[in-house]
Amino acid sequence: MNELVLALGWLGIYSPVALGACGSAIGCAIAGQAAIGAMVETEGGYGRFVGMSALPSTMVIYGIVIMFSLNRAVTPENAGALFGIGFMAGIAFFVTGVWQGRACASAVNAAKEKPEIFGLSLAPAAIIEGFAVFAFVFALVISGGIQ
Amino acid sequence: MADPDAYVALITSLPRHEELFVAKQPPLSRLRLEMRLKALSVEDAATLATLEHCLSWPAYGLETTEAEAFARGRAALDAVPQPELRSILRDRLQMRTLIAALRRRKAGGGPPPAQWGFGGIARRIAANWQEPAFGLERPYPWLSEAAGLLERGDALGFERLVLTESRAITRRRAEGHYFDFIAVAAYVLIWNIHDRWARANAAAAARRFHALADAALGARTDIFAER
Repeated sequence: MNELVLALGWLGIYSPVALGACGSAIGCAIAGQAAIGAMVETEGGYGRFVGMSALPSTMVIYGIVIMFSLNRAVTPENAGALFGIGFMAGIAFFVTGVWQGRACASAVNAAKEKPEIFGLSLAPAAIIEGFAVFAFVFALVISGGIQ
Repeated sequence: MADPDAYVALITSLPRHEELFVAKQPPLSRLRLEMRLKALSVEDAATLATLEHCLSWPAYGLETTEAEAFARGRAALDAVPQPELRSILRDRLQMRTLIAALRRRKAGGGPPPAQWGFGGIARRIAANWQEPAFGLERPYPWLSEAAGLLERGDALGFERLVLTESRAITRRRAEGHYFDFIAVAAYVLIWNIHDRWARANAAAAARRFHALADAALGARTDIFAER
């Protein structure tokens, strides 16, 4: 039983990085494909499209920071806390990464037709980023209480 | 479940459709559209071809009979796997059934047989043959206006109404799909509507030009004759 609990503890430590990386990869891939499609259709502003497509990459950065804050000797006493915080933070980074990629793809699609709405079209992606920041900050806060 | 992000690059490479009767032509040529559509998978390309073969008027020759058109529609409804696309197909074929009934009545024809057309509305059409909109105003709000336009002989207004409603059906059924095959198929079907309007304008212009030319040169039939 103890072995399983310890394994879950290690899973919790690495989950934010692994799930954050998956979320960032999928999100960047979705937004990146949108940027490539828009480049075929437009005559300029390519840099902006590529920049937009990189927005979901922040999820893996948050995951790395959470991993460092959780990284410690895993014991039966702290394994549950490590698993709960790390795994749930990882899920949050994964989901927000994927959906931020979709929001960025829509923003690219809209901004290629009307460049003047470029800033506004990024608002949904920025709001999604805000939710990821909530998950990040509060994971840091409660990880400070783990022994 | 279909991948909702299957065709992100394809969708973003397609220019937006302008307003239907404002744009003089579709946002991109058929050649460029075909080039972009090469990104479709074999199955999706086949489904799109089935949809276009059934809904695009140029795919019907003058020699196509009513029975062949019905058979083609029914085969397409069986062949299209996506429920949303089947809904678009069914709604637009029902619309054609109603328009065909209006035209049939205007031409002095009698009520259609029970198995006629699509959507199982032939019985109601036959039962209300003398009603302006066959008693179907509630499920098809555009039908009363269409009947009025047809009675008045306003071909242009009728065409505009039909194209507007066709586009509305397509958009409504594809709502919530942004980067998947349904979004691509809806784009192409709307492209066909824009193309039809652009072609109709070109044909009307050509007819008018010939009429004006005939009127102007009517008295000079030997204009190119050698003196």
